Amino acid sequence: MAKKNKRISLQEAAALIGDGSTLTFSGFTIWRRPMALVFELIRQKRRDLHLIEVNGGPQTEFLVGAGCVAVWESCWVGHELYGKYGANVSRKVGTGELLVEDYSHAEMTFRMAAAAAGMPFSVSQSSLGTDLHNPAYDMLGRAGKRDGRDGRIARHKYQFMDDPFYGGGQYVLAPAPKIDVAVLSVQQVGEGGTVRVAGQYYTDPEVARAAKITIAVAEEIVPEEYLRRNSDANTIPSLEVDYIVECPWNAHPTGMFGRYDVDGDFLRDFYQRTRTQEGFDAWAQEWVFGQDHLSYLEKLGWPRTLGLKANSAVNYSTSVKRGV
Amino acid sequence: MTMKEYARDGEFNLADLLCCAASREVQDNEVVFAGTGLPMVAIMLAQKTHAPNLKLIFEAGTLDGRPAELPTSVGDPRCEMGASRSSGLYDAFAIAQRGYVDLGFLGGAEVDQYGNVNTTVIGDYLQPELRLTGSGGNPDINSFASRTVFIMVHEKRRFVENVSYITSPGWRVKKWPEGSWVPRRTLYGAAYRGGPSAVISTAGVFRFDDETGVIYLDTCHPGQSPEGIAELCQFDLDISRVSGQTPKPTYEELHLIHEVLDPEQIFIPKTAKG
Repeated sequence: MAKKNKRISLQEAAALIGDGSTLTFSGFTIWRRPMALVFELIRQKRRDLHLIEVNGGPQTEFLVGAGCVAVWESCWVGHELYGKYGANVSRKVGTGELLVEDYSHAEMTFRMAAAAAGMPFSVSQSSLGTDLHNPAYDMLGRAGKRDGRDGRIARHKYQFMDDPFYGGGQYVLAPAPKIDVAVLSVQQVGEGGTVRVAGQYYTDPEVARAAKITIAVAEEIVPEEYLRRNSDANTIPSLEVDYIVECPWNAHPTGMFGRYDVDGDFLRDFYQRTRTQEGFDAWAQEWVFGQDHLSYLEKLGWPRTLGLKANSAVNYSTSVKRGV
Repeated sequence: MTMKEYARDGEFNLADLLCCAASREVQDNEVVFAGTGLPMVAIMLAQKTHAPNLKLIFEAGTLDGRPAELPTSVGDPRCEMGASRSSGLYDAFAIAQRGYVDLGFLGGAEVDQYGNVNTTVIGDYLQPELRLTGSGGNPDINSFASRTVFIMVHEKRRFVENVSYITSPGWRVKKWPEGSWVPRRTLYGAAYRGGPSAVISTAGVFRFDDETGVIYLDTCHPGQSPEGIAELCQFDLDISRVSGQTPKPTYEELHLIHEVLDPEQIFIPKTAKG
C-alpha cells in the first residue's frame, strides 16, 4: 500500500486535470458518472479537454455545453430514455467548435483494454465495411493532429491488415488511447485506494488501469482493511488509484447501483433546455455556477433525493416514477 | 375468447404490434443481445412466452439476465437481479466477437436496400445537418450476431438508396481503405456469421434475399398495402414475395406487455391506438 495520504477535496481533484488533458470516466451512459467533479471542472473553466470515452452521456453534454471540450473521441452520446441524442455535441459539431472522432462501442472497449494492458493497439473484426473505417472521416487527421508532435495522438486512426496466422480475413487495428486522467464514480473506496464497485463494472477496470492518474470519487471512504477482508469482491487494486475523494451523491443526476436511481426529470429538463447555447448558459447559471456540491444537494431537496434512493434489497429505487 | 386468440383491430396499438413482431423473431435457447427500449420488452415477452430458455446479454455487462422489472437502460441495476453474472463491456463484446450471439435487436435512422444502417448523422458527415447519437454498439452487434433485426419508424426519407453514413454493416459493404463495394461474406472472413435478417418498420416486416442480400417486403401491418409501402421507399421495393399480414398481438401478449412487463408505460403506451 502506498504510504502517501490519497484523500483530497473535489476542488483539488478538478485542479489535477489541466487544460488540454486527455480525460476519461467510469460508468455507462447515464450510470455512475462523476458528475460532482464534472460540475467542478465547469466552475474552474477548464478548456481544450480531449475526452476519450468508451461511451458518452450527461457528463459529455455538460462539459461540451460549457465549452470545456475541444475533442470528443467516442461512439455514442445521449441521455437514453430522457433525451434521445446529445444536443450540445450536435450543436458544437455543427458550429465547428467541437471535433468528433468516431469509433464503434466494441472498438472503444477493445482500445481501452489494449491501453490497460500496455499494448499499442487493439485488433478486431468489428464494424468491417462501415464508414467508421472510411479514411476520409479521420477527423484528427484532417485537422493535422496526427503529425506525431503530440505523443498522445496516434499517427493513424486505423490500420488494416490480413490475419497473418490463420488466414482469417481482414482485421482492423486501432490505437490504444493515451489517457492523462481517469475519474471514477464508485460506491466505496478504501483509504489506501482499493475500489469496490457494486453491480456491473462497465469499463471501470480498464480505464483505471489505462490512465496515468486515476481519481476515485466515492460515496464513502471506508477502512482499507474492511475491503481487504474480502479481496475477491474488490474491483480495482489500490496501486492503480492515485487520489480518493469522499462525496456522497456525486453521480447525481446519473444513477448508482445500490445507492440511487437516475434522476430522469433532471436529465429531461437539461435536454429540453440546452438545445441552444443561451439555454445551456441559463441552465449552468442555475445549477453549476455559484453552487458547490452541498448547495446543489440542498437545491435538489429531500423529497427528490429520497425518491431516488435505492432499496437495499433490490439495489434500485422502488418508488421512483419512470414511465408516463 | 382465449388468451391465445389474436386481438381485434382497436384493441392494440402500433407499439404492441411491433413488440410482438419482434418477440416472434426470437427462438428458444438463443443467446440474444439486448439494447434499450422496445426490443427489451420484446425479448422479455419472448422469455415469458415461447422462448423461456433464451439467454439475454446486456451490452453493459449483464450475462444471461432474467430481470424481474423492466430496465430503462442496459446500465440499469434492474438488469442484474436474477442474472448469471454481472460484469462489464469487455466481457459483453468479447462474447459477441467470440461468436456466442444468435440474435441482436437494433434501431436506425436510415436504412438502404442492402440493410446498411445509419445512426450517426443526417446529411454530409463532414458538414452534418444533424449529428445523432453515434454508432454505439450497433455495428458491433451487427458484425458479430448470426441474425440482427432492426426496428424503425417508416418514412420515405429513412428508406433510402444510399444512407448518408454506413454506421452498421448490411449485405453489401465497403472494403477500406479503397472503398469498393463488396459482399459482406467476402469481407468478413473468419468473423462471418450472418447479418441483417429482418427490418420491422411501422409499416411492415421486411427480409433479405439469401443470394443477393436485397431487401423485400414479407408482411404488411394491418391497414397497409404492399403498393403503399413501396411508395414509402426511395429504392424499388420488391413486393413480389409478400406472405400476408403481420400477425396481430394475442390477448396473452397484450396482458404480459401491459400488466406484467411494462405497467409503468416506460416504452409501450397503453392507448388502444397510437
